[in-house]
Amino acid sequence: MKKIFKNFAIIFFIILIFSSCTDNKKNNEDVELIFWHSFVSSTIPALNQLIMKFETENPGIKIKAQYIPTGDAHIQKLITAIQSNNAPDISWLHSDYLEDLVEADAIYKIDDFISTDSTFDPSEIEHIYPSLIPLASWRGTLYSLPMEATNLALLYNKTMFREAGLDPELPPSTWDELYSYSKKLTIDKDGDGKYDQVGFFLPIFPAAGPQSGWMVWQFYPYLWQAGGFIIDENQKNVLYNQEAGIKALTLWKKIYEELDLRNFTTDFDVTFASERLAMAMDGPWNLPRYKDLLKNIDWGFAPLPAGPKKKATVVGGEYLAIFKQSKHPTESWEFLKWIIKPENQAFWAMQSGYLPIRDDAIEVPEFQKYLKDNSNFKVFVEQMSVGQANRPIDYNALQVVNHIAQAIEKATVGRMDVKKSLNDSALKSNQVIKRNDNK
Amino acid sequence: MQNLSKNNKVFKKSKGDGISALLFLSPTILIFSTFILFPVFFSFYLSFHEWNMFNNNATFVGLENYKRMLESSEFWQVLKNTAIYTFGTVPLNMAISLMLAMALQKKLAGKKFIRTAFFAPVVISPVAAALIWRWLYDPNYGVINYIIALFGVETINWLNEPSAAMIALIIMGVWKTFGINMVLFTAGLEAIPTSYYEAADIDGAGKISKFWHITIPLLGPTTLFILIMSMISSFQVFDIVYVLTSGGPLGSTKVLVFYIYEYAFKFFEMGYASAVSYLLFAILLIFTIVQVRIMKNKVYN
Repeated sequence: MKKIFKNFAIIFFIILIFSSCTDNKKNNEDVELIFWHSFVSSTIPALNQLIMKFETENPGIKIKAQYIPTGDAHIQKLITAIQSNNAPDISWLHSDYLEDLVEADAIYKIDDFISTDSTFDPSEIEHIYPSLIPLASWRGTLYSLPMEATNLALLYNKTMFREAGLDPELPPSTWDELYSYSKKLTIDKDGDGKYDQVGFFLPIFPAAGPQSGWMVWQFYPYLWQAGGFIIDENQKNVLYNQEAGIKALTLWKKIYEELDLRNFTTDFDVTFASERLAMAMDGPWNLPRYKDLLKNIDWGFAPLPAGPKKKATVVGGEYLAIFKQSKHPTESWEFLKWIIKPENQAFWAMQSGYLPIRDDAIEVPEFQKYLKDNSNFKVFVEQMSVGQANRPIDYNALQVVNHIAQAIEKATVGRMDVKKSLNDSALKSNQVIKRNDNK
Repeated sequence: MQNLSKNNKVFKKSKGDGISALLFLSPTILIFSTFILFPVFFSFYLSFHEWNMFNNNATFVGLENYKRMLESSEFWQVLKNTAIYTFGTVPLNMAISLMLAMALQKKLAGKKFIRTAFFAPVVISPVAAALIWRWLYDPNYGVINYIIALFGVETINWLNEPSAAMIALIIMGVWKTFGINMVLFTAGLEAIPTSYYEAADIDGAGKISKFWHITIPLLGPTTLFILIMSMISSFQVFDIVYVLTSGGPLGSTKVLVFYIYEYAFKFFEMGYASAVSYLLFAILLIFTIVQVRIMKNKVYN
């Protein structure tokens, strides 16, 4: 017995040592905010710059940025943290999860802060691009604020355009041009029946896989360009299987089949860099990388071609929310409202390569100069005016997205009729929505 | 017998030993009950509820989750895929591992190296392995297509054709797991006394009849063990599916655990996912009972 007690005493002592090691706080006056984000490693230096700027301008508040992988892992970690009362002060959020977080009463409304903060001018919010607001809100209420914006544009290889007899300064501006250029730029160089150069890349991924949401996100612009909608205003029936959806998916199917994308690798940036791909959809987040990766290639960005009804692109970005478990909501709000200021938006955009979230950031003089020097970046900034959000889907957004992904996969990989694949998918989506309504 | 009872006396409980045993076991008991026992019962409870993990109140829905599962056409498709995968990998796996185990019984130069090489896939991280296989299966640069092209077979788009993707998955599944079964079979083979073979030699038995009448029956317990374990692990396959095919194309490689993952951690329908988990458990239980019953007579008589 004695021995046992001795052993336990030793173990107890070791635990004591370890527990006293942790948490030797630095400056005891400073408030430290835990900030979860999903920026890739190439953006981290820019983020550190931004945080440094904030900390010098706001003495007494320190930001501790922690990287959380995006997608499934992010939300799983967040749930665990909330359940164990360990949520961060501020976190990046994907709008698809707002539904659950609001229901769980885990995050503040932005209005909770605006209404009590006399130093904040509510009209600031009106300067944010209207297309970003639905992504930050759930059922019309603002629960988060965008930190930066992104959208999709067309990346293309100018040399290949010249070789195919196309004008490199006149990239495709309509669906018809997109289709005919794609065909012209698809070449079987050695005559073995396989294309050695492909004109246009479509992101077709398994609907069940982790990249299905990414695929659907890139499909939306085509749906909107044809004048379509994802869902009706009352959120009762999906609309993506109507005429516009059929047109958009038919275009994708046609390109997929005629360019033989079935046999093309899915890593489009690698194929673009090795000059086997002429055009692809891409976002501004890759611009810093491309300076190096594509330095031997004559490349450029152009707006997405306009569809039969209008011009459109899809917008995204990171959205910051403040958690109710935070001990420092006021300081967290200071960070949020600081970050949406035009001068900080311009600073952040120039550092990170992301787009500012508001139109008046362009008026910042340094940023104007920056836009003049970076014409590719300018394409994205200008496209914000035709940007649309993949919203509103307030209920079961993830399942609806999954069903759209299934329709795309069935029509392309599965060689199924476009109308049938969309109708099957819409039927399933409506069932899910109905089941939820009955609850 | 005498010895045993003597030993028993030595270890006979004295007062206080029970407590210290409990104390020493407590870490294990604690970990076991937190991470195994509790989830097992909790997911059974959840299978009758609807819960999204975000809030603390799960709604009781009775058998609704089970009903929805049995009515879902996707569920039956997933079950079928899992069955195809299992009945594709397990026999192939066992045949290959038994063959290799027997081949490696013989005196062979570099035997240890070969055995290690065959065992290597078991130790490699499944995610890393699946990433390598993705490249092997690539329609443009893949080695596998290069090799079959040498025999004049047309390029197969392994991971992008519903009919080929399952085969690709089975091939990789067999490659990944046959090593462990080979080792188990080797152990089983070494446990067979050589005197049986010598007796058979005297009786003038051929190689084939020795295999059928000595090796196979005496390997019975090993085979049963391997069969049950392989069945269970094939039914639970997940990681290589997630990386190699992501359940695609067209859901042709979506297997049960992948389906459970999708509902639990993508759509946050924990109740439904738990219901499917319990069905998986029931299937495995039935399989195991049937296998043990069938093999019992054959193995031990």
